[in-house]
Amino acid sequence: MTTVFLSSPVVTVNSVDLTDQCTSATFSQSVDALEKTVFGNVARLYTGGLETNELVLEMFLDYDSGDVWATLNGLVGVATTVKVKADAGAASATNPELTLTGTLLASLPQNFALGELQTVSVTFQGGAYTAVTA
Amino acid sequence: MSKYEILKARVGTVGEEYDAEAAAATGVNIDALIAGGFIKLSAPKVKKYVKTEVETEQEK
Repeated sequence: MTTVFLSSPVVTVNSVDLTDQCTSATFSQSVDALEKTVFGNVARLYTGGLETNELVLEMFLDYDSGDVWATLNGLVGVATTVKVKADAGAASATNPELTLTGTLLASLPQNFALGELQTVSVTFQGGAYTAVTA
Repeated sequence: MSKYEILKARVGTVGEEYDAEAAAATGVNIDALIAGGFIKLSAPKVKKYVKTEVETEQEK
């Protein structure tokens, strides 16, 4: 059994490298299941429809110039590109670079909890999914 | 074509040119990068001309 120990994943948002502020990245690609069952079938049959892609990032929030907040604040409501790679090395078949192009950041929630490092959880919705493997 | 300069290390080497045209082609939002202070429009380089004096026949 092969397992992957993640030690140096790379995250870029709108070409800004936010790797050193990110604690979690959840990339999901899903396709609508459109039913095509007809008379005579003994089991339901489906075909693939539209894709719904999403990237959820958990990050520490930093208000410094040129950091997390400066990156995200200007992206609310506009299309952008986000990329995630398991390792800092070049994109390859064993280190695919997952990309969402034309994805939307619909909201920028900010939590303020006393005595804790401030974090932000953002969801990039939609966009075209590609996996660069070379 | 406008040229942009990198201001923050998170988008590349500070001071180097940012290829906004190529980035925009991949879906990067250039306006957001400018608003966030990551890049700026490069100041156009002014060509320097050296003034040379040419003596006319009368001056000779």
